[in-house]
Amino acid sequence: MAQRALWLISHEPGTPLRGTVRFSRRYPTVEKRARVFNRASYVPIPEDGPFLKALLFELRLLDDDKDFVESRDSCSRINKTSIYGLLVGGEELWPVVAFLKNDMIYACVPLVEQTLSPRPPLISVSGVSQGFELLYGIQDFLYSGQKNDNELNTKLSQLPDLLLQACPFGTVLDANLQNSLDNTNFASVTQPQKQPAWKPGTYKGKPQVSISITEKVKSMQYDKQGVADTWQVVGTVTCKCDLEGSMPNVTISLSLPTNGSPLQDILVHPCVTSLDSAILTSSSIDAMDDSAFSGPYKFPFTPPLESFNLCYYTSQVPVPPILGFYQMKEEEVQLRITINLKLHESVKNNFEFCEAHIPFFNRGPITHLEYKTSFGQLEVFREKSLLIWIIGQKFPKSMEISLSGTVTFGAKSHEKQPFDPICVGETAYLKLHFRILDYTLTGCYADQHSVQVFASGKPKISAYRKLISSDYYIWNSKAPAPVTYGSLLL
Amino acid sequence: MGPLSRDVWAQRLGAFRASPSAFMAGPEAEDLGRDLLGDLRSEKLSEQTKVSLLALSLEYPAQLWPDASAAEVAATSLLDTLVLLPPRPSALRRPLLLAATTALAVGGALGPTSGASCRLLPLLLGLAAGSDLGRGFVPASEQRPLQATACECLRELESCKPGLLGGSLGLLRGLLGQEGPVQPLSLLLSLALRNTLVLQSRAGAGLGALLTARVSPTGGGPWDWTLVEEGDGRLQPQAPSWPVAEEGEGEPSLTAREHSPEEARELRAAVAQLLDTSYLLTPVAQAQLLWLLGWALRGLQGQPPALFKPQLVRLLGTAQLTLLHAVLALKAAFGEALFTAQDETLLLRRLTLAAQHPALPLSTHLFYLHCLLSFPENCPLGPEGEEAAPLLLRPQLCRGLLPSLLHEPMALLARLHLLCLLCAEDEEEEEKSQLPSPGHYLEELLAGLWQRAALEGGPRALATLCFQASYLVARCLAGQPTVLTPLIHGLAQLYRARPMLAPHFVDLLDHVDPELREPLKVVLRQEVVSRPGRDEALCWHLQMLARVADGDAQSATLNFLRAVAAHCTSWDLQQGLLQVCRALLRAGVGGGLVDLLQVLARQLEDPDGCDHARLYYILLAHLAGPKLGVALGPSLAAPALASSLVAENQGFVAALMVQEAPALIRLSVGSHEVKGPLPVLQLLPEALEPIYSLELRFRVEGQLYAPLGAVHVPYLCPGRPARPLLLPLQPRCPAPTRLDVHALYTTSTGLTCHVHLPPLFVNFADLFLPFPKPPEGAGLGFFEELWDSCLPEGAESRVWCPLGPQGLEGLVSRHLEPFVVVAQPPTSYYVAIHLPPDSKLLLRLEAALAEGVPVALRTDDWAVLPLVGDYLRGLAAAV
Repeated sequence: MAQRALWLISHEPGTPLRGTVRFSRRYPTVEKRARVFNRASYVPIPEDGPFLKALLFELRLLDDDKDFVESRDSCSRINKTSIYGLLVGGEELWPVVAFLKNDMIYACVPLVEQTLSPRPPLISVSGVSQGFELLYGIQDFLYSGQKNDNELNTKLSQLPDLLLQACPFGTVLDANLQNSLDNTNFASVTQPQKQPAWKPGTYKGKPQVSISITEKVKSMQYDKQGVADTWQVVGTVTCKCDLEGSMPNVTISLSLPTNGSPLQDILVHPCVTSLDSAILTSSSIDAMDDSAFSGPYKFPFTPPLESFNLCYYTSQVPVPPILGFYQMKEEEVQLRITINLKLHESVKNNFEFCEAHIPFFNRGPITHLEYKTSFGQLEVFREKSLLIWIIGQKFPKSMEISLSGTVTFGAKSHEKQPFDPICVGETAYLKLHFRILDYTLTGCYADQHSVQVFASGKPKISAYRKLISSDYYIWNSKAPAPVTYGSLLL
Repeated sequence: MGPLSRDVWAQRLGAFRASPSAFMAGPEAEDLGRDLLGDLRSEKLSEQTKVSLLALSLEYPAQLWPDASAAEVAATSLLDTLVLLPPRPSALRRPLLLAATTALAVGGALGPTSGASCRLLPLLLGLAAGSDLGRGFVPASEQRPLQATACECLRELESCKPGLLGGSLGLLRGLLGQEGPVQPLSLLLSLALRNTLVLQSRAGAGLGALLTARVSPTGGGPWDWTLVEEGDGRLQPQAPSWPVAEEGEGEPSLTAREHSPEEARELRAAVAQLLDTSYLLTPVAQAQLLWLLGWALRGLQGQPPALFKPQLVRLLGTAQLTLLHAVLALKAAFGEALFTAQDETLLLRRLTLAAQHPALPLSTHLFYLHCLLSFPENCPLGPEGEEAAPLLLRPQLCRGLLPSLLHEPMALLARLHLLCLLCAEDEEEEEKSQLPSPGHYLEELLAGLWQRAALEGGPRALATLCFQASYLVARCLAGQPTVLTPLIHGLAQLYRARPMLAPHFVDLLDHVDPELREPLKVVLRQEVVSRPGRDEALCWHLQMLARVADGDAQSATLNFLRAVAAHCTSWDLQQGLLQVCRALLRAGVGGGLVDLLQVLARQLEDPDGCDHARLYYILLAHLAGPKLGVALGPSLAAPALASSLVAENQGFVAALMVQEAPALIRLSVGSHEVKGPLPVLQLLPEALEPIYSLELRFRVEGQLYAPLGAVHVPYLCPGRPARPLLLPLQPRCPAPTRLDVHALYTTSTGLTCHVHLPPLFVNFADLFLPFPKPPEGAGLGFFEELWDSCLPEGAESRVWCPLGPQGLEGLVSRHLEPFVVVAQPPTSYYVAIHLPPDSKLLLRLEAALAEGVPVALRTDDWAVLPLVGDYLRGLAAAV
């Protein structure tokens, strides 16, 4: 269950080493156990320098892939998880849990309590999930509310002390480092015995509960025979409960209007104390029917101090909020494009913003453009070979808008214009970016009156909603486009 | 030396962390550990600096205090520092406790004879119990954090020395029920409980008593090391890997000892107590608790796993990786006893859902996908340890888990594996559903991957991904022609579009099974040879051809080579061309290749290329096929990445030079037979492995004999008796000698070996030759004539020849039969022996007694007298 060592490495393309070890921590008591358990297959934890080099090579971050290198490019070296074997000093260090996020590589080596040859299946190594959770926790801590490098450096400098609390001997006690930080602050308070370990202290002040529902909608639209358009809503319910007492109980109910789309694939925060079996079993895997559970979805829980994600869900709404088609044709030296977008009448026509990004890959800079649009303005980024159609806050009354025109490109130069392995030839997409406040596509809302709080004082309850687009693609219907298996289910 | 300043320490710690090994090799290494301990008590250093010193000792105790005695001294010093802290809040207490614990555990000093251990353990237990240790040892504000820290230290010590806390189970239980901090105590108790269960099943200690004993933490009695000693200090896996636990290897069976009903009740109560408060633990700690308790109770009689049931619904709803993983561990530990078929379905559905939930990060998806394919099923069907789709995972469930070109490489490969497994099943069942055929989808996906890899200027990662996918498909669906045919076709097209991927193709050919390799080779060879002429991709074509060229389609290949030879103007192209020739040589292509090599040897401008062509030509002209194959085959001696030239040289060294080798043959001397005018040694060779072209060379010590010719044997096979070899000897004087023997032979792998065999001995009797036979009846006269001719130059002597049980008659017929001239059995024999080159030896054996016979002898060479004496005296002993 324990970790032998962990590292944070910033990925710095263009520098000689391509990266720097920003933080590392070794756990010698665990290492001693590893030597005993792994027996002849034991490989010691390397020093930071060799580890950095081996990891960047394995993650293909050394940008030297000009030549075929067997130890990296061989077809038989298939990695299907973020868990690697690193060649260090002629021996293979395994398992190394590692992932790259925001130019930072998070890595650790979990203890395997047996010999490594043959390798045990990853599922049987308890330290793997523990390692992931620790790394995710560090990532959350470093990037929650972090805006610039100075803040990042401050947080990095806090890590040694925090890990002394959260993971003193290599066995993770709390992956939420914010708790460890608060722990030091709350240390003087004498805690009652039933204080949860994930709640370092108690809140003092005006009671209030804030619930915000954020829905992201993604879509793949093809406008083609034999290929179905797909779309999906992913919701996140975030709560912040400022309530007195060590273990206040709260129940939040999410409700749907009569014609709302049922919530599916619900995952809850560990502080939720019980779950209705209907919530547990409602899943997008099954074919939808009218008997699907449509709420209210009750979540009883004991809140932690900080803001947390109470639950995630997905939903299959009957129509996409914006339906569109995109046609692009190569005509000798120029491209002819036609775009049509239609907002569904049931959707709130009041955007914070709405834009369509129309990128052109694997071509030179835009040299000439002629266009006609029924609505909004078009911005041209010539060097980036990108058009942005700014639609604004509202669709016109007809709910339908269009753009057509011709684009001419200059000679291609690989450094400046984007390469894309998918958008080759006439394969192309446009991507919609929009946000609507105080609205959810499923209709899901947290009824303020149904929020039950068992704590002293009547809390102020506030609720927020918003809909954001995410991966909302409309593909050129005149060319092949990448499909998912789901698109073939007509 | 006084304490170092803060800056000096910062610099020193920085240098150490940059490279501990380099620092430890330097001049400052020796003092580091001592300085650190000393300066912890310095009043000039800030607490912050001291914390950073302690942090270093937490990470590198093995470097600072490399042996048990140094660790003991360090731990003692750290404990002293702790005791000497003034009674006000300090940031040093926690790290000091952690450092002392680490030093003892890592240094191997923890044990009943260690003074520091005997101080630390009661101190930790006292702190964990929250007792007042007196003299303001713990300021009130630090009580709680130190209590937790002490628990952590004890847990670590228990991990390193299982059984250490066996005697404190009752105390810990009591603390958990009262005011103690829930998480540290729960984790400590569950670990101690688990270890006790494992150890006491062997030791037989009473569990019930341990669970209920309420010893005082500061009771002052000596620490109880009994259980540790029972366990031989062997580490216990806290969360054993599943297959190992299944086999019971290294994991003592917990069922070995039955618990009394009372003990079982007490144990159940303790576990229930731990589980009931588990929601107060952080998710990672909850997961640890479940792993520990699950594997502790597994197989324990009278402990139904239903205890875990109330936790499951809560856990299944979460998105936490550790919790879902712990549920899977419970599933593996208890199977059907805890998860009914419906529960299993639900768990599988939650796992499927989590493996694709858009709210979770990619690395979590991938881990869940792995868990799906390694799912611990109630009724597994397939072979253990291999990834497979669980039986309940129907295609309907998986449709959201299938790959698309938009996925990241790792996700694509993981999902592709699942798709392949579905295709394999689809093939078996031919289930007609309304879902699109997975096989068809797979084909389209691969086409997309090839298209992407074919893009000019695309990154190598895309090509690698494409070949990994092709390899995965080939491996999973090897037996399916419906998949392999389009695969071969698609790969050929990819090569046509982008020959620079040749190294990837070569790598793929090296890894796939012959089912794909052979047809793919044919197709790729056609791709290459159908396009002779000047081509920018010529170097790739040659690299490809060097891998796919073999005995088939020789003329097309040779035509291609002849056509491109003129364009091979640079060194690397010429080398590429020669590599293909080399491959053809290995494959045993003869005819047309000879001409080509001759042309190349003349035509190539580069001297290196020229030399190689000539070398290959000479090899082809002089070596037999198998030998050529070995000479040009991959060399085992050369590391894989060495250049082809080095590999080639190494190969030649191995194949064309004579190797010193251990003897694969044995040689012995057979019975003495008299034939012809010269003495002949009969040799019996025996081979341990098949060997070819054996040549035996002999050398006579001194100049006693004329030089001996070599003996040749074309083939020797173990177990098949070989014809005896006859080695004629030409003595220059009649004396025994020793032959030095060397053997030279070729092994079945084509290597030529040389070996020095043990020497062979030529005995005096081996030289005996008969005189020409006198006419019937003239024997006596002939003998007397010889007898008289010996003197006066020669010598005469009498020797007593002992007789064995066979008597004189037996002795003569056995040893001297061919040389007898006159015989009057059984009493009198006259023997005449010709000793080459030109000596004679005459013996009269007459008037034998029971125990021996007097022998009168004459010879014309007095030098042989001692040899004759030894010979005759030894006859009776010789069988």
